[in-house]
Amino acid sequence: MTLTLEKPAPKPAASAPRRREGRRITSIGAFGEPMLWLTGGALAIALFMIVGLLALVVHQGTSTFWPPEVWRVDTVDGRKFLGEVAATDTYRPEPSALDKLPVEQRPRAAEFVALSEGNSTREMLRTGNFDVSGTHFTWISDFEVLQRSMPEWSVVVERLSWGRFYGEPREFRIGDEVIGRTPGAAWARFQEHHEACLERHAEVEHLETHEIGAVNDEIEEARLALRRLELEKGRASPEYAAAEAATEQQEVEMRERFAEIESEIRALNEENARYVLVMATADGQTAELPAAEIVRAYPANQLAWSERLAVYFSRWGEFLTDAPREANSEGGVFPAIFGTVVMTLLMSVLVVPFGVLAALYLREYAKQGLIVSGVRIAVNNLAGVPSIVFGVFGLGFFCYIVGASIDDLLYAEKLPNPTFGRGGLMWASFTLALLTLPVVIVATEEALSAVPSSMREGSYACGATKWQTIWRIVLPRAMPGVMTGMILAIARGAGEVAPLMLVGAVKLAPELPVEIGSAFPFVSFHPERSFMHLGFHIYDLGFQSQNSEAAKPMVFTTTLLLIALIIVLNVTAIWVRGRLRRKFQAGHF
Amino acid sequence: MSPQSFTGRGRRRQTRRGVLIAERVARILISIGGLGTILAVSLILAFLLWVVAPLFRGADFEDGGSRVLAASSAGESTPIAAGVDEYQVIAWALGADGVVRAWRLDTGELLREERPFGDVRPTSVSLPLDDGRYAVGFEDGRVRLVHFAFLTEFLDPARDVELAKKLENLERATWNGGVVQHTPEGQYRSQSLVLEVGEAVDIGARSSLLAVDAVLGGGTTRVFAYESAGALRIAEVERKENVFTGELTESVAIHEVRWSPRSDGVAPARVLVGGAGDRLFVSWRDGVTRRYDARDVENVVPVEEVDLVDGEGTLEAAAFLIGRGTLVTGDSRGRMRAWFGTKPENARTADGETFVRTHDILEKGAAIRWISSSARGRSVVSGAADGTISVAYVTSDKELFSSRVEGASGIDAVLLTPKDDGLVAISAGRIASWKVDLLHPEATLAALFRPVWYEGYPEPEHVWQSSSGTDDFEAKLGLWPLVFGTIKATFYSMLFGVPLALLAAIYTSEFLHPRLRTPLKSTVEIMASLPSVVLGFLAAIVFAPFVQGVLPQVLATFVCVPLALLFGARLWSLLPSKKYVQWSGTQRFAAIGLTIPLGVALAWWIGPLAERVMFAGNLEKWLHGGFGSAFGGWFLLLIPAAALVFAFFSSRVIDPWWRSKQRGWTRDTAGRNELLRFVMATGFVFALAAFAAFGLDTAGFDARGGVLDTYVQRNAMIVGFVMGFAIVPIVYTLAEDALTSVPGHLRLASLGAGATPWQTAMRVVIPTAMSGLFSAVMVGLGRAVGETMIVLMATGNTPVMSWNVFDGFRTLSANIAVELPEAVKNDTHYRTLFLAALCLFAMTFVLNTVAEVVRQRFRKRAYQL
Repeated sequence: MTLTLEKPAPKPAASAPRRREGRRITSIGAFGEPMLWLTGGALAIALFMIVGLLALVVHQGTSTFWPPEVWRVDTVDGRKFLGEVAATDTYRPEPSALDKLPVEQRPRAAEFVALSEGNSTREMLRTGNFDVSGTHFTWISDFEVLQRSMPEWSVVVERLSWGRFYGEPREFRIGDEVIGRTPGAAWARFQEHHEACLERHAEVEHLETHEIGAVNDEIEEARLALRRLELEKGRASPEYAAAEAATEQQEVEMRERFAEIESEIRALNEENARYVLVMATADGQTAELPAAEIVRAYPANQLAWSERLAVYFSRWGEFLTDAPREANSEGGVFPAIFGTVVMTLLMSVLVVPFGVLAALYLREYAKQGLIVSGVRIAVNNLAGVPSIVFGVFGLGFFCYIVGASIDDLLYAEKLPNPTFGRGGLMWASFTLALLTLPVVIVATEEALSAVPSSMREGSYACGATKWQTIWRIVLPRAMPGVMTGMILAIARGAGEVAPLMLVGAVKLAPELPVEIGSAFPFVSFHPERSFMHLGFHIYDLGFQSQNSEAAKPMVFTTTLLLIALIIVLNVTAIWVRGRLRRKFQAGHF
Repeated sequence: MSPQSFTGRGRRRQTRRGVLIAERVARILISIGGLGTILAVSLILAFLLWVVAPLFRGADFEDGGSRVLAASSAGESTPIAAGVDEYQVIAWALGADGVVRAWRLDTGELLREERPFGDVRPTSVSLPLDDGRYAVGFEDGRVRLVHFAFLTEFLDPARDVELAKKLENLERATWNGGVVQHTPEGQYRSQSLVLEVGEAVDIGARSSLLAVDAVLGGGTTRVFAYESAGALRIAEVERKENVFTGELTESVAIHEVRWSPRSDGVAPARVLVGGAGDRLFVSWRDGVTRRYDARDVENVVPVEEVDLVDGEGTLEAAAFLIGRGTLVTGDSRGRMRAWFGTKPENARTADGETFVRTHDILEKGAAIRWISSSARGRSVVSGAADGTISVAYVTSDKELFSSRVEGASGIDAVLLTPKDDGLVAISAGRIASWKVDLLHPEATLAALFRPVWYEGYPEPEHVWQSSSGTDDFEAKLGLWPLVFGTIKATFYSMLFGVPLALLAAIYTSEFLHPRLRTPLKSTVEIMASLPSVVLGFLAAIVFAPFVQGVLPQVLATFVCVPLALLFGARLWSLLPSKKYVQWSGTQRFAAIGLTIPLGVALAWWIGPLAERVMFAGNLEKWLHGGFGSAFGGWFLLLIPAAALVFAFFSSRVIDPWWRSKQRGWTRDTAGRNELLRFVMATGFVFALAAFAAFGLDTAGFDARGGVLDTYVQRNAMIVGFVMGFAIVPIVYTLAEDALTSVPGHLRLASLGAGATPWQTAMRVVIPTAMSGLFSAVMVGLGRAVGETMIVLMATGNTPVMSWNVFDGFRTLSANIAVELPEAVKNDTHYRTLFLAALCLFAMTFVLNTVAEVVRQRFRKRAYQL
């Protein structure tokens, strides 16, 4: 039986252009799908970038302080390393890379590399021990590795100077007496006495900064008073001679006090120097670590999960409350946080009143016309001027002209050392206030113009004066906008670094600009001092560190902190704006 | 009290006093505060202008008058060397008769006069050495090293009653053969000339030394001398001080230079030593000069011959600038020109260096008699035969001062004082002095913005190199490399950021579900407030090393991701209509979102493949140049061009035909055909690009060396990408605002007429919002121009002018941030940096004003709709 396929009824001529009545189909091209996908793709790319960036920072920032295990790696050419794995990467070793190995090992290594198609994985081990080995990090490729292990007693030591130490405790000595000869015993003894050593060290620091600092301050003040007298009365005057004699007498007393304090310090240091933890590195060298130099130590491979968490949180605590060590690559960023907060506070105190005043003037009091429009355009543009220009202005005008004049008038005795004639907290706040002023003015103006004129007119109709209207009707309703503007300005000011590079942020500030002392007045404010700033800290850590690999994790953590700060500010702005908007929602006519 | 009120209660009809006062006070305070704030903000521009203005002011010269120089017993003689002390109180001159005289500068009183050389006459004198000494050649063929030093002592008038009487009410007085000044600080400072004459050194010459010059090198002084008998000698004089006995020993090593005199037998007029003694110039009066390579004193070889007057006139005066690299010559035609050695690529000399004329400083009428250069900078002063003196700065060819001294018999000697704060001219027994403040001769508009021929460079170039370690450094303040860097950064960041932001804004305002818009806006606001220091840090420390490791993959991503999106769009169109409509919201966006990682994965796979095929296995090495064909580079660059060409061609030729065909298709057929067409188009574009690349490669053109060149880790591509990321939020927010403020009824009308959302967007919304989009782009541009931190951290901060996209650069803003903290207040460098800040300010101000004006007009127009 043949199966014949019936030819379907021929369709009306398909090649001739058909005229269809009624239904018109939109052609596919009209939907513009490709372009649509491109635009959507652009949005998706932007979102991926933001999310990816934040995720990267959060991931790197939060994992910095987690204490990982310590590995011991023995290489084929007999070297031994002990350290934490800081990074891994894959690369194609050049043939000459194998020349480092002893001749008999080369064929095996070459085979190893050939097995993985010419690629090799290498790890960067943080081996520390800079005082012994001369490096902080070591790269080890997989073809160099003989064996790996996690020794039970490898201890990670964070020190006051020279960075980290990785090793095994050998013995613990007090003076000449050895009281712990096994790793376990040495570690236990060390734990017993460590607290006391740290307390003594803290006492020494207190004596050095506060007591000796006080003595030095008194000597300096006396010298300055003498110089002031010299400038006023002249060298040859009798008052000067009398003052000079008095100063000399005072200096003798000061030196006695100085010697007393010094002997106290010496005693404490000598006592501390008796407690020594002797540790051995992976390749057998020994190092003596005074217990007072050890900030934190833990046996990395013996920690339970909860103990690791404890170390993690303690490091975070140190990060947020301590001063930096080791050229900013270890320790904390408290001075930077403090500097950023104080400067931002000072800046907002300056910017908000003046910004609101200027916006009120422009919107309410000035006669609207060409000039005011011109001024408005100018203010708008200033919001877009690069921040570095403001920094230049701050340095040239505030520091070198206004600051120098203040120095000549009030601090002549300290010259040629500038007091206000160089960058400091005050000038930085002024500069940033000027920078964020246009933002506040623009935001406030927008907010003021959003208040419907019907409300103003109603108020006037009830007999209120202009000021009463502004104070009771307009400003409250403009508050959401003003607050938003203020918080956005603060967020911007907290993140600007370029002008601060010129007017006062420094790599390491010896003292905080606000000091809390024990004598009255309890809080002393020094706006002429340089300060540390989180953003500048990031720049400095990333680019001007001696040990940039060790500083990299710290930079991520600082970045995380800065981003968190700014996000908190932004979210607060959005929340406040929402709250206030709802509050006044009903108030429209 | 109103008797007519209903309740009988009265009411005040006057405003309370307090309210009126508050009103007045508020008005005053607000006006002052407001005006003050606005003024403070305009202070910035005024201050910048105030600091920059002195850059272009000429130097200050204050005439101090002229006096007769007291005649001496021995009669007049023309000076062959002269000098002034740093406090400008004493002037000395060594005459051709061998007499050294010192005068008080302000009165012309003769302080000292002596014959330190006995009866021997000096026949020639060298240019001043670095330590201020001169080598003097005598008629007996010997050389002496003479130091015209000044002894500064502080005296106590209390101990010397006579001195006190003399100085009673005067600022200065002659005392003990010197001058004592009462300084503003209240000290009595005495200056006197001290002559330290070295032992006569026998250099083996028996006739008078007609020309001599010397250089200092370590402890050795190298003296080059020509004697009238025709021999040219080099003597190395070494003074050693025995540490134990304090005994000074002088040892002399003499080398004779093998040289051939000129055929016409004329003796050379001058011997000049350049550099540290490695270049010897023997110069005749008619301008012909021979340069010798004197690096090896035992074997001095002639290298080239130059005519310093170009055949016209005679060479009258010559002096080296500080550092002895540049020779300034003055001739009888009144021309003062500068010459130095350059190393051009096609040099035909033995040592690869050619001595070229590089600056034409002056051309005055009268013959130049005397040239002397500053000991601190690159200024020269010349004295002419008609009594004119001119002070000029060599690098910028700027004449700073010109004057005529009376007594027109010509200038005998003219010089700048050691601290460049005074000018002294001796002429016909008179001395004239000026107080000088050179201000900022290095910075003229031409020197800042046009190519300048700096010492040692083969040709005039734009260079920015503002400081270095040595004193004789020539500050190179060319702003063009920095402006070029700014433009490069802006260009690449706009290239990455603007399309991304605009397209994203279009999608958000036209196709995104309104509910998603608010969280999206907040996310983008957060992105906007990310400090740029964070972005810069990530760019430099994370992205740059990463990109360097996966460069082929990254370059492939630029091609693969758009391709994947377009392909995905075609695939999506294949959906049945019902699903297509149902899924046109979130699901489509999710699909778009998924396509991107797929595109990246594709790029990751293609990258190494392409590297192996087109770039000989190593892209970085290929970029460095020297091997591999140029095909790959051209192919990469031509893909976008080919795509554009094809799009144009297809819209003109293929589309009408396609559209006519489309009427006969069902939706499914159309979808499949579109997909096919896309695949074929892609293939065609690649083929076109490959063909063109092949053609260019065969024709011998290579993209390397221009836009593609050696790969530097921190380069323009990285910066463009990260800075693009930084400006995306700004442009996005403003563009989105512009698009959403297009009145809704326009959209609705378009949709009601049957247009698809895309057609509405393309033909109705975007044209209406065009000015808003334009102003958004301008604001983004302004931000990109002024960005500092990202550029500071993610470029190499090298001020080079190269088109290479893989090269570093330095922008105006980063330059200011790096150099201003170190600049000395109010000096040229400081003011030039302020000029850079002013340029930035002007650029962003103009851009923002244009954007603002456009935006205001757009608003007005939109409201009219």
